[in-house]
Amino acid sequence: MEGLYIAAAFVGLVVITVFKGVRVVPQGYKHIVQRLGKYYCTLTPGLNFIVPYIDSVTHRITTKDIVMDIPAQEVITQDNAVIVANAIAYINIVSPEKAVYGVEDYELAIQKLIQTALRAIIGEMALDSALSSRDMIKEKLKAGISDDISDWGITLKTVEIQDINPSKTMQASMEEQSAAERQRRAAVTRAEGAKQAAILEAEGRLEASLRDAKAKVVLAEASARSIESVTAAVKDNELPVTFLLGEKYIEAMRQLSESDNAKTIVLPADLLQAVKGMMDKVK
Amino acid sequence: MFEWLNAHIAYWHWIVLGFVLACGEILLPSFILLWFGLSAVVVGALLFFVPMPLSGQLLLWVILALINVWVWFKWISPSFKTKSLSGMAKESMIGQTGLVIECNGAHAGRGTLRFTIPILGNDEWQFICEDAVEPGSRVVVRDISGNTLIVSASKSNSNTV
Repeated sequence: MEGLYIAAAFVGLVVITVFKGVRVVPQGYKHIVQRLGKYYCTLTPGLNFIVPYIDSVTHRITTKDIVMDIPAQEVITQDNAVIVANAIAYINIVSPEKAVYGVEDYELAIQKLIQTALRAIIGEMALDSALSSRDMIKEKLKAGISDDISDWGITLKTVEIQDINPSKTMQASMEEQSAAERQRRAAVTRAEGAKQAAILEAEGRLEASLRDAKAKVVLAEASARSIESVTAAVKDNELPVTFLLGEKYIEAMRQLSESDNAKTIVLPADLLQAVKGMMDKVK
Repeated sequence: MFEWLNAHIAYWHWIVLGFVLACGEILLPSFILLWFGLSAVVVGALLFFVPMPLSGQLLLWVILALINVWVWFKWISPSFKTKSLSGMAKESMIGQTGLVIECNGAHAGRGTLRFTIPILGNDEWQFICEDAVEPGSRVVVRDISGNTLIVSASKSNSNTV
């Protein structure tokens, strides 16, 4: 009878012991084992055996990448502009024992570290370069906090700046600035156009005057030549010229009389003399 | 009760218990119950040929189970290879060979190395090395410290670039 009780108790002890001694760690996790309160070892994925009753698994740490959202914060740039920046960080716990014993809450620690480092980095940059050089910020961030997190057995795989926005008032003044800039350009363009138009107009006038003058010269030259040729043709023989002039004179008279406004036409009595007088003047 | 148990526990009880325990393995992620179940089946088989008192059966069962578990953990389970190092950053990094691409002049023993393929999402890493290395020499990763690798000069530096 006693033998059965002892055997049953022994069975119970063995079952509990074996259950406490065997640890299955899933892939992607590592378990920290403490022996009587002190760190003893880190269990890797798979089946592990620990000494029951004196060893205990105290922390189950994921070794997959952890995605951390770094909350938005206001940052003042070198040229005293306020921008709002938030980031996303990917960290990986390389040494679980360091992460467990080196820092109270590694996620909070890294989040604060990234926030302050981001503030410091953007604080050294002018607004325009901060808005446009994300890659540089990323590199500086990684280099800046690498040493700080080395004690915690954590690797910062990457930090991505998610949004980097000027604050509301900054945005309004930036928009105003760009609008003003565009307005300035429009005004300049308009003035340029007016100037061009005026210049072109003046050039046109100049060109026209030049051509007018040239035309006058050509006309005068042509008159001179025609007079010369008439003179050459007439020489001392006045009669045909007088006849032609008379004919033209009479024709002109006829045309005057034909126009339908009221008129009084005074004709010279001695037509021939009148024409002759003209001719004498020419001579 | 003791007599009743002695009289009524038949060999097939053990075998059924063994199968039930083996099935219980599904519910408990421990890989322990299977060995208890197997031992129970063995005890049942022995009981079929050799009659034993109940305490003897229990002791035999526990001892068999312990032996099974011990053999499993001592010899069989370690021979299972790790099939993937994904999610094991340290293991996948240690032992990798990289090429020194620059040495930090201001900071002796520090510099930058490059791997042929990106490891942990980056192919260029800062390193700390106690051996004398120069650009072009190969180094082997010993440990990771934050975003910096602790390296030592590779033995096979004959194939330097």
